[in-house]
Amino acid sequence: MSGAHLHLLLNHIPTVAFGVAVALFVAGLIKKSEDLTQAGFVAFFLNALLAIPAYVSGNAAEFILRDQPGMSASVVTAHQNAAMLGFIFMQLTGLVGWVALWRFRRWTIPVLLVLSIVTFAFMARAANIGGGIRHPEILAGDPTVSGAWPEPAAMGTALIVNYPWVWPICEIFHFVGLCMLFGVALLVNLRMLGFIEGVAFADLNWLLPWAVLGLVVNLITGMLFFLASPDQYTQNAAFGWKIGLIVVAGATLLYPIMSDEIRTLKQDARASLVARCVAAGSICLWIGVIFLGRFLPYIGSE
Amino acid sequence: MGSLLAEIEQSGVATWIREGGVLYGYPLILFLHTLGLGTLVGLSSAIDLRLLGVGQGIPLKSLEKTFVLMWAGFALNAATGSLLFVADARKHASNPAFYLKLLFVALAIVVLVLIRNRVFREQSTGKMLAAASLACWFIAMSSARLMAYISEFIS
Repeated sequence: MSGAHLHLLLNHIPTVAFGVAVALFVAGLIKKSEDLTQAGFVAFFLNALLAIPAYVSGNAAEFILRDQPGMSASVVTAHQNAAMLGFIFMQLTGLVGWVALWRFRRWTIPVLLVLSIVTFAFMARAANIGGGIRHPEILAGDPTVSGAWPEPAAMGTALIVNYPWVWPICEIFHFVGLCMLFGVALLVNLRMLGFIEGVAFADLNWLLPWAVLGLVVNLITGMLFFLASPDQYTQNAAFGWKIGLIVVAGATLLYPIMSDEIRTLKQDARASLVARCVAAGSICLWIGVIFLGRFLPYIGSE
Repeated sequence: MGSLLAEIEQSGVATWIREGGVLYGYPLILFLHTLGLGTLVGLSSAIDLRLLGVGQGIPLKSLEKTFVLMWAGFALNAATGSLLFVADARKHASNPAFYLKLLFVALAIVVLVLIRNRVFREQSTGKMLAAASLACWFIAMSSARLMAYISEFIS
């Protein structure tokens, strides 16, 4: 499967699957069903994770299509900027969705309502311009007119390419994020595994946002690396696997906050076999992410 | 001194690390060094956060077992770090960022031992120690990351 196939497959997630997420959330609010609203929170978070491969596979598709006749590079650039705008709001929606699951606060509802609708609108616009790459007849206006819309992808690229100190600083913070994410995830998973005992999960739970914050830091810094030279990453097999593992490993950050068993795990209680398997899997997945990140420059690229 | 470092670089093990192949040798050692870093610094900073007031309900006694893992991470990084050093002995030995890194790793380890002895065993609050620990790790990690840039700059 080529990068172009992959992008065609994945690009329906931020539009179609995200639309389902918004529908779940809104239906939950209307029906006053806590279960439906929670399903919406989960779907927001998973959509945000899946938006990562959806976004980066776009550059893989562009790599294949760039020399084909009839390709308009400026429409591709307009699509990329529109997609990045939607991506940023998608990540904010996923983040607030995670917070709402972690410890429900009233403010999360209106914030999510606004964020998810804005995200959906931005993603629909990105999808429309993206469709216009191959089918220019569907484009109503000219999307390549710059200035009307923000160009976050171009701004990110300019930031990391034009200022030589940005890359090293991003590297430092990529390691800071790694430590926050891996350290806290390790601690929480070791409690589920029973290696650490004598602490109720409700207390340990307060540390979890620091793991998510580490993920946010690494998503921002990692995305800047990617924007600097996308071909170097999309043409590297280890990168694809790393992104795939991040999606699955990231999803394990939902388990402790969603499972009633873990949320209410008493100080000296043992977690179930299922929880222990998830915890062991989560640790292995994060180690796999580190492994692929470290091996990225050495394997996978020709 | 220079000839000793050159000799270290020419030794069998150093040559093997540099030129040994793709999947083992340099990249594998680098990965293990990062894994040790994530374990040691990750768990140490999680403890620092607890001491600074995040998740105050977490009994310190429950975190004592993590010291085994942190020492294991430190041992792994001392071993892999030595191997990475011998592979490029002259380059690292002439790099001021390398000594800064060693200094702050040493300080961070001293602070970690103090946290274990004073806070875990003698029940002092340890807020200052926790802040010092986070600062030491941040400086150690930053200077480690900047080693590559500084060696390029001075050469």
